[in-house]
Amino acid sequence: MSAVRTPATREELAELLRAASAEGTPVGIRGGGSASRRGPVTDPPARAISTAGLARILSHEPADLTVTVEAGCPLGELQAALAARGQTWMQAGARPGATVGGVLSTAASSHRRLRYGPVRDSLLQVVLATGDGRIISAGGKTVKGVAGYDIPRLVVGALGTLGVIVEVTLKLWPVPASSGWFTATGDVARLAELGEALRRELHLPAAVLLEPGRLSVEVIGPPADLVPPDGMAAGDAPAAPAWDAEMTVGVPPTRLPALAADLEALGLPYVAELGVGTCRVGVATPGHVAAVRDTAIAHEGHAVVADAPPELRDDPWGPPPPGVALMGRLRDAFDPAHILNPGLFIGDAVRSVA
Amino acid sequence: MATIPLSAVDRFRDILGTDRVLEQHTERLLYGKDGSIAEGDCGLVLLCETTDEVSACMRAAHELGLPVVPRGSGTGLAGGAIPLDGSVVLSVARMRRVISVDPETPCAWVEPGVLNLDVTTGVRHLGLHYAPDPSSQAACSIGGNVATNAGGPHCLASGVTSQHILGMEIVLPDGEVLTVGGPAPDPPGYDLRGFIVGGEGTLGVVTKVCVRLMRDAPTVTTLLVDFPSVTSAGAAVRDVIAEGVIPAAMEMMDRTMVRAVEQFVHAGLPVDSAALLLVEVDGTPAQVADQAAAVERICRDSGAASVRTARDEAERALFWKARKNAFGAVARIAPNYYLHDCVVPRTRLVEVLENIAAIGERHGLIIMNVFHAGDGNLHPLIAFDRRDPVQVEKVFAAGKDIIEACVAVGGTLSGEHGIGLEKRDYMPLQFAPLDLDAQCRAREAFDPDGRLNPRKVLPAGAKCGELILDAGSLPEGTWL
Repeated sequence: MSAVRTPATREELAELLRAASAEGTPVGIRGGGSASRRGPVTDPPARAISTAGLARILSHEPADLTVTVEAGCPLGELQAALAARGQTWMQAGARPGATVGGVLSTAASSHRRLRYGPVRDSLLQVVLATGDGRIISAGGKTVKGVAGYDIPRLVVGALGTLGVIVEVTLKLWPVPASSGWFTATGDVARLAELGEALRRELHLPAAVLLEPGRLSVEVIGPPADLVPPDGMAAGDAPAAPAWDAEMTVGVPPTRLPALAADLEALGLPYVAELGVGTCRVGVATPGHVAAVRDTAIAHEGHAVVADAPPELRDDPWGPPPPGVALMGRLRDAFDPAHILNPGLFIGDAVRSVA
Repeated sequence: MATIPLSAVDRFRDILGTDRVLEQHTERLLYGKDGSIAEGDCGLVLLCETTDEVSACMRAAHELGLPVVPRGSGTGLAGGAIPLDGSVVLSVARMRRVISVDPETPCAWVEPGVLNLDVTTGVRHLGLHYAPDPSSQAACSIGGNVATNAGGPHCLASGVTSQHILGMEIVLPDGEVLTVGGPAPDPPGYDLRGFIVGGEGTLGVVTKVCVRLMRDAPTVTTLLVDFPSVTSAGAAVRDVIAEGVIPAAMEMMDRTMVRAVEQFVHAGLPVDSAALLLVEVDGTPAQVADQAAAVERICRDSGAASVRTARDEAERALFWKARKNAFGAVARIAPNYYLHDCVVPRTRLVEVLENIAAIGERHGLIIMNVFHAGDGNLHPLIAFDRRDPVQVEKVFAAGKDIIEACVAVGGTLSGEHGIGLEKRDYMPLQFAPLDLDAQCRAREAFDPDGRLNPRKVLPAGAKCGELILDAGSLPEGTWL
């Protein structure tokens, strides 16, 4: 068990990182710990830093639809504060206990991505503590801005390997006045066909989710738009998946129905986001991991182990994406001593395989 | 004027043939300019037609140690495509193929020289469009849009270019060809795609782009609202957003601009209006009815004199023609214009507009406003005559005041045009030395030798924190 430090200020955080870089001591970064079973299995780092001490909501500007918040703020707490003013961080994917920094570092998008886009589109400004303890700011607080390089986008999904997110400014949406779920049951071929037809015919549905035996569509709009499409009935949001270990798959959206059919043939549970191209798959054995990855690759996509016990994480990423060398140079620019989150930079796995 | 050694010219001719390597003085002069007011110094022009050619040229430039400026249509307003000190200009304007259209995803792979409007024109029969729509959309290229992370009126609801690019093929400064992203979302590793968008040609030469297409909304309503003052129009914009209504577009034009445009386009605009709002709402019929009613109510509460709804598609097209031809109409007022691009929080819109008017008066200049009010993206336009050096000096001084006024209320230097050359030396207004150093390091991960579009985006000395700045004047190495 490693010693966990919980800095109360960003300066204290930067000082811890500076010291660790100088010594070459690896440091694990912790948010809510809700998505930490990820990456190759490594020895736990000697030190860990928690962002729990940096958890304030600094300013919410309801009239401008923006909020500035520290990374350690629990997502639930932020959403409750925003909801009190009729607003929401629409693109954030929720896991119980997740923090703002964790949602961004894992690029966890909400189920409404089809309409509102991925979570990376909501990040306007980031304050980052780099691996060597520099505190830098990038982007701007306005809802639109192209001044300087898009470091905010680079940080989203980087799993904390470029720096520790300290503070962010996010673009918000109003909480929809009315919305509704519609569901249908049947076999995968029929449901996939119905779902594909609906994402063409409905104007900007919030979500079209395909699971074994069930299709769920969420529509956001005035009451007049909340009528069940042909072949569907009013229903509830899908239940949270019951599996313990999860892979996330990305394929071109047109390949998703075929991917879903292949997953059913493998007997694996899944939630496919039609129109988006992402699919969450429940896995239980190393054989499942290999089969899901082969299927994803056969459909011109990729599959990573997103949350799983060690025995399923022998090869969490799959084949390296193009540009790994370039990613390595970017990492050098932000974490020159490579102390942050050992193992979670994809280039490390490539290096160790080579 | 710097010259490229003959042996180098021969090397490029071996790759492209003689016709597509331009070295004549008059030819090079044309490529020394872009849509901004400055003019630079182009050493050689390469007209590439394929990825292989771009890669071979980049490899040759790498081996010869030559600086390269990538160029699309050259319509950029921040001087991003202006070559300095005899740089080689690599044009992708001839790479104009639509490679494939996938109407189901929907998305399309296109070459970087394809014009923005041609993407939409090519898929309109499928009920699809490409959302970002800069005013220059009939002339600007997708490659240039990717470089600047271009915007446009309809980015209010649907987001700027970075939200509409799924992937790209890019040639790095040493000639390596890389494909990042594509229709399959969230590939493992860093989001290189997202970082490359907005790179202003300093990270690589983009040679193929996968653009996200959107389905046309079933219903669209366009409102033209006439206000008795800029202040009341600004308040209406603020209140619409604050109520949680996000229109597809919300554009403002002030009186000087309305008059210039009306003489030019004859759209029947109310020329006595102090400020006009052009508001578009789209969606299902029920959504559109709800939103249009809310916009109209809020505008009337803010003191709108009249609200006119476009009767049909022809009138809607006329309203938009008026908006998108605004910059052309300025020619009736003065031969040249200098266009700014700051963004301010929408809650500060009114005070900033009043401040800009005061800056114009103080410098004795005509400043006109036509801009993306819904996201606070101002476009103060200073009309002037470049032949008058006194006026030119005032234009730069007023521009500096405008930028400082916007940043002072929490604004940003550029909303959609980019930093390029013209705002480079303003970067320290928004970023601390450590921030600029971090940007510099990230750029060097792509271009360690600093040969790609050198001296753009980041001020000299950004890496060591010893900044050499010259904001508020014509950038060194350029002239009018």
